[in-house]
Amino acid sequence: MNRKVTTVIFSIMLLLLITARGIHANSLKLDVKEHVFKNGLTLLMLEKHEVPIVATRIYFRVGSVNERPGITGVSHLFEHMMFKGTQLFGTRDYAAEKPLLEKEEELAVKISEETKKGEHADKEKVASLENELGEVRKKLRDLVVKDEYFSLYTRHGAAGLNAATSSDGTYYICNLPANKLELWAFMESDRMKNLVLREFYSERDVVMEERRLRTENSPFGALIEQLNAITFIAHPYRWPTIGWKSDVQFITKEETREYFQKYYAPNNAIIVMVGDFYRNEAIHLIEKYFGDIPGQAAPPDVKTLEPEQMGERRIEVEFDSNPYIAISYHTPGIGHADLYALDVLSSILSDGRTSRLYTSLIEDKRIAVMAQAGIGIGKYPETFTFYAIPRAPHTVSEVEAAFYEEVEKLKKEPPSDWELQKIKNQIEASFIRKLNSVSGLASEIGYYELLSDWRYINTYQEKVAQVTANDVVGVANKYLKKKNRTVALLVKKEIEEVAQ
Amino acid sequence: MNLNRYAKRIVFSFIACAVCLLSLAYEQKLFAQPHGQKAAEGPLNRKAESEGARIVSGFQFKPLNFVPPMVERVELKNGMIVYLLEDHDLPLFYATARIRTGAVYEPEEKSGLASLTGHVMRSGGTVSMPSDKMNKELEFLAASVETSIDRESGSASLSVLKKDIDTGLAIFADVLMHPAFPEDKIKMRKDEVIESIRRENDHPMQIAGREFRKILYDSGHPYSRRVDGTIESIGKITRDDLVSFHKQFFHPNNSILGISGDFNKEEIIKKLNMVFAGWKKQELQYPEVPTVKREFKKTVNYIYKDINQANVIMGHLGISRTNPDYFAVEIMNFILGGGGFSARITSRIRSEEGLAYSAFSAFQTSRDIGIFYVSCQTKLQSTNRAIAIALEEMEKMRTAPVSEEDLLLAKETYVNQFIFQFTTSASIVGQKVDIEYKGLPLNYLETYVENVKAVTLKDVEDVAKKYLHPDKIKILVVGDKEKFDKPLDTFGKVIVLGLD
Repeated sequence: MNRKVTTVIFSIMLLLLITARGIHANSLKLDVKEHVFKNGLTLLMLEKHEVPIVATRIYFRVGSVNERPGITGVSHLFEHMMFKGTQLFGTRDYAAEKPLLEKEEELAVKISEETKKGEHADKEKVASLENELGEVRKKLRDLVVKDEYFSLYTRHGAAGLNAATSSDGTYYICNLPANKLELWAFMESDRMKNLVLREFYSERDVVMEERRLRTENSPFGALIEQLNAITFIAHPYRWPTIGWKSDVQFITKEETREYFQKYYAPNNAIIVMVGDFYRNEAIHLIEKYFGDIPGQAAPPDVKTLEPEQMGERRIEVEFDSNPYIAISYHTPGIGHADLYALDVLSSILSDGRTSRLYTSLIEDKRIAVMAQAGIGIGKYPETFTFYAIPRAPHTVSEVEAAFYEEVEKLKKEPPSDWELQKIKNQIEASFIRKLNSVSGLASEIGYYELLSDWRYINTYQEKVAQVTANDVVGVANKYLKKKNRTVALLVKKEIEEVAQ
Repeated sequence: MNLNRYAKRIVFSFIACAVCLLSLAYEQKLFAQPHGQKAAEGPLNRKAESEGARIVSGFQFKPLNFVPPMVERVELKNGMIVYLLEDHDLPLFYATARIRTGAVYEPEEKSGLASLTGHVMRSGGTVSMPSDKMNKELEFLAASVETSIDRESGSASLSVLKKDIDTGLAIFADVLMHPAFPEDKIKMRKDEVIESIRRENDHPMQIAGREFRKILYDSGHPYSRRVDGTIESIGKITRDDLVSFHKQFFHPNNSILGISGDFNKEEIIKKLNMVFAGWKKQELQYPEVPTVKREFKKTVNYIYKDINQANVIMGHLGISRTNPDYFAVEIMNFILGGGGFSARITSRIRSEEGLAYSAFSAFQTSRDIGIFYVSCQTKLQSTNRAIAIALEEMEKMRTAPVSEEDLLLAKETYVNQFIFQFTTSASIVGQKVDIEYKGLPLNYLETYVENVKAVTLKDVEDVAKKYLHPDKIKILVVGDKEKFDKPLDTFGKVIVLGLD
């Protein structure tokens, strides 16, 4: 399982002599240095000189939460397009390519408009347009240097080259040998300046396949998509990051381009560097390559607030699969004081073999083979989610009842000192372990900066240390209640019976 | 731990070459894309590259000055091999052990025994420490001890803070030497495994992975079986079986240990001698494992499942891990389908035609002959097209010359990414243990770069001819063939398989 970026855990003050660079002795705090450029670009730096590698991240403050119905999935589709090259990279001759790309777009729009008519589409017209399009694509293919962004990076030793999109942000990941930073700065700044949406239509098809893989043919993927859609009735967290099928299928190049212009500006970006580099050199390098990209007005914030839930919501998802269950409760967004106690609560419930859900549902009752709870930390109010896999012949109802039983216990009786201390010990230890990974640190620093402020990492430890047993009882009562929950059950598809 | 955040909204752009076929799409690491051309064209001449690449070729990169730390290798009196690497940066301690055992040594009628033993060793606690006490003790210290037995090896790991080394090592050694195997914990694990077997058919990729082994290997060979066993075989396993399986293989002279972190070598060796004091050298008896029958015969296999995306896995027998052609095969496969975006199969199927999100080839090596396979998932309507492209690229790899440029890209990638083998002391030690366990030369890491550099164009052509057999391929498709673009029997007579 992927560890949620947000179960990131840190530590209370520890009287430990830590010798690693970038960390204050006697306390577990990251000593991140910050530099903001004239165009609004934020650079966060943490030097660690043990191994000659640098973990770099470029985070853009845009995710599916910034979309709207009709173009859901555009943030993620655009993330794919960021690997297709620029006016300098990925093409033999951009001047020759440009008019062909425009022609391709014109034909693709016409084809889309016709096929959208469904059964009324003029098939002959579509066929002849597709022929013409095929000819244009042949010419385009001769001009493309295939996947050059990727091969140039890897041949210079880049590792972990990837990108990810979430509801709140889009992340570009690249770990490099320390001597290749200039190459990275050049290639990344060029992506921000001169991106070209080439191979757009085939990439849109790739995303459709990704959707089939992750959601449409995956029981758990399908369940979570439905759960979110029903948990949020107003806030844009309701649609999936990958987008609704009908939207992704027809997102236009024009819509994608608008997205790029609106959000991919230096004032909306965060660069993180962790590893073997020197601060002054890094600032100089970023200034040299990114300094001339103009800043622009900040994009609008999401206005819609999720209204208070007025009663339990329940859905069934029919699927050709054994059953699953997922339950979500509305919780606040980052910055709210209750999140620390909620985090402790989720650990008490489901972190490790001594956690309550494990000992009760899995070990004692043996009604489930997996039972997890976790708190989502988002820019906007998120959810506390429980999900479990029942063990046949036990049912989702039994699992659901057993989960409520554990929740009720926590509402009435404070957790033990031992449980709280265990969690605090684990938070400290995991902070120390994290310092071993430049890549992990870079992701975390960027992630929290994107949500609010990287300093959250440092204050988190103190805040969690202050959580008391009664705080846990308090948040259990405040949030984990029937009125505030949405229950999603994945049930075996019924074989249709003949009507009586 | 908590896949909420990812399950909800994060969507990864590529998947790293995960050789294991995983259950949830979220757990996968996706792949990349390559360098595609139409079959009719020769290899692309990269000389006419982009303006960006021309600019980059003028960059000056300082050499990386890095000397990997020296890992020491000692043999204890009891025959245990120990690799040690002191690393005083952080107050951490890691141990990892490899034990020569595996599912290949279990009787067919009791398949699942090795895996069950490996799990219950830890989950069932030890003679002197019941599991709930062990769980509490470890989790309170934010430490972990884990064990597992896979197809061809047993593993044990310890992660603990410096201050708790003594406690951690004592538990770690106890688990290796004196597991209790209580009946209730055996039953619990059996039930969990049975549930996961019951649920396999819910996931197309798991079906494909399971059935492909059966198709590839003779049914009498342990490589053809699931490591987890079957519902029937698990039913036959008794506690005595676990006790004797453990006794047969867990001995110091059968174990390689790797330790890294904040310790002093002399002290730690004393401690190891102390905690493993009761562990004596033994004469070792290994059951005979049959040799893999080298059978290459084309078959087309099909499993019906009502999904909208076919899961394709195709391939044949490959090479063993110690094959002298290993480096040439790695480089060849990098060009063919293992090198992310710069690999041919990925490029054509994914970015050129938009037929799949994940499409790659891999050599999965083992002690005896492993597997070469191509994997992709594509909508039903392009299943045949995707298979045809993969076959075409395999054939082209055998018959068309590889360009200097393609070879150079592969070699530079391997050489320049090599630094990432040394990111942490724990990973360096882990590799050392792995290298010795697999029977590779002990100076494998030291000679790695020169072995990569030594691969020639002729080597690549030779191994392509020797190890790729598109005419004798075994194809397996999970999906609904009524909706394929062309009849599946275009590739040969279709064998219809049922679902277990």
